[in-house]
Amino acid sequence: MTALTAATTPAARPVRHRGGLLRAVARTHRTALVLWLSALAAATAALIWLHSLGDEARDGMSACATPPTDRLPSCAAVEAITADETYANGIAVLATVLSWVMFPVAAWAGGALVGRELESGTARLAWTQSVGPLRWLAVKLAVPAVLLTAGTGTLVLLNRWARGDGDPDLVGDWYYPDAFVSTGPVAVAYALAGLALGALAGLLWRRALPATGVALAAALLVHSVLERHREDLWPAVTRTEAGSLELPRSAFQVAWADTPRHGVTLTRATFHPESHFWPLQSMETGLLLAVTAAATATACLVLNRRLP
Amino acid sequence: MTALDTLTTPAVPRRTSPSRGLVLAMLRLHRSALLFWLGLVVVAAGALLWAMGPGADAAWTEYTDTGCDLSHPNLGCDIPGPANSRYQTAVAVGIGLIRLLPLLTGAWAAGALIGRELENGTAQLAWTQSVGPLRWLAAKLAVPAVLLMAGTLTLTLLHRMLWSSDLAPLGVMSWRAWYDDGTFEINGTIAAAQALAALAIGVLVGLLLRRTLPALGVAVLAVVSLVYVLDEVRPHLWPVKTAVRGLEDGTAGSDSMIVETGALTASGARVPIPSCSGEPGCDARNGITHYYADYHPASHFWPLQLMETGLLLAVAALAAATAFVLLRRRTGAAV
Repeated sequence: MTALTAATTPAARPVRHRGGLLRAVARTHRTALVLWLSALAAATAALIWLHSLGDEARDGMSACATPPTDRLPSCAAVEAITADETYANGIAVLATVLSWVMFPVAAWAGGALVGRELESGTARLAWTQSVGPLRWLAVKLAVPAVLLTAGTGTLVLLNRWARGDGDPDLVGDWYYPDAFVSTGPVAVAYALAGLALGALAGLLWRRALPATGVALAAALLVHSVLERHREDLWPAVTRTEAGSLELPRSAFQVAWADTPRHGVTLTRATFHPESHFWPLQSMETGLLLAVTAAATATACLVLNRRLP
Repeated sequence: MTALDTLTTPAVPRRTSPSRGLVLAMLRLHRSALLFWLGLVVVAAGALLWAMGPGADAAWTEYTDTGCDLSHPNLGCDIPGPANSRYQTAVAVGIGLIRLLPLLTGAWAAGALIGRELENGTAQLAWTQSVGPLRWLAAKLAVPAVLLMAGTLTLTLLHRMLWSSDLAPLGVMSWRAWYDDGTFEINGTIAAAQALAALAIGVLVGLLLRRTLPALGVAVLAVVSLVYVLDEVRPHLWPVKTAVRGLEDGTAGSDSMIVETGALTASGARVPIPSCSGEPGCDARNGITHYYADYHPASHFWPLQLMETGLLLAVAALAAATAFVLLRRRTGAAV
């Protein structure tokens, strides 16, 4: 084979393997590519539309007076604005969609990206075409990873832009699970973790459907465990006061205890102030990237050991 | 083959009907799905049973110990304690698994039950083994349908027991109403009907697409949209009752699913509640004489359940019939 190749193409064409492999991955998974691009386009359009609604929506939430004064508009006029409801619903839907990107990605990676190819033997065929198994896996992971990072990252930035000043009455408090995930780098890390977990499940099960199910279950597990223990990822602030203690709205309350002492109620509140947003985001992103790295490394090891 | 059979087993009275073999083959082929389904039912039933017994007791003890049932509750009563969290988690696991069921059923039916068999050609192989395509499809629909019904109805009965033991104390702690999404479906026949509709839709999509993963994706989308649409139209499946009250009276019953509220003018026309509502003179200025609320009282539970169940069963029947017609046309098979 090599002799024949050398004979027919003496030394003329420097063959570009990498481009060919990239094109092959894009062509095999063209349905997924088209779906991802259309989802991105739809979400971008929705976010731009929501941003354009933002100012009107905030007017619909503003303070009012009846009868109107020179500083406050009349309540009837404020009440007549319906944009605030549309805006709040739209932002909530997009926040949920952005924080759930991991699930379809994991199912696809386990089923279509890796599992189906190993089940039907097309992976083994590809490995004979001058592409080693590890190179094959690397490209299979790298191309979707780049597309996912670029797409999800763009959507997160657009989402932060569309949320405007982040009025919690309209877009939810910063610590709501969907709002938290959809406004920071965590969203990208979730998508990447889904990809890596899916690929690992595909390599371990080597069959499309079981791998889809296992990948989805793994993604659900990671997502729900992190959502439950998010508050423990950074030391919370504790404030103890006698009498009635009132936390600001932006406080992410973790624990609360009232203890009567010497006739006075002592209140002890544990919470995350809003300034903990970035530390919490960084910790969760770091954890997810560690999961991604571990899953990818395990996938490489599994593939290496499987080979003759 | 038949000649050989009669030769070797001359007059054995044992009559194994071909359907029995078909059912056994199906159970063996989909044994992991069967085990998964059994596991899911066991976990959901266990969660509901635990919540009903020890979980509820512990949560209520904790609630009374912290004094939240007294007249001066503290702010800490807004946050559930550990025992209450465990109770809520158990209930959420039970209900969550049942809510996932249509999605999982649709995905499995389209992917594993039909799509994979048509893609691999194992279906075509089965059709040569004295089982016609239509018999094969009937078994594919009937066996999972029976198992799904048995499991879902068991969980429904368990949840109804939990719901009826969900007395005042737990009413305080769990804040669930009969019309909440999730609670409503599992308290009646809708959960089982949703599973059947998802099965039939999955089978139809699998037959249409004939490939495992695309069928799986499309079936999931179809089932999710069906469930979503039915959630949206639920209040309109049965005529609402209307409560009209004067400007000073209280509200309509608190245990009702409120569908729409508004104000009435002297001529009886329905207008939106004016934004100045509550201020002196506002209602008179806007010509409003009464407020109204369209609502479903708790007694509408069964009519609403049966209407939605009927719709789901109609969808299931339509999908199954289409699947039979499609397969018949494609294979030219008689029954």
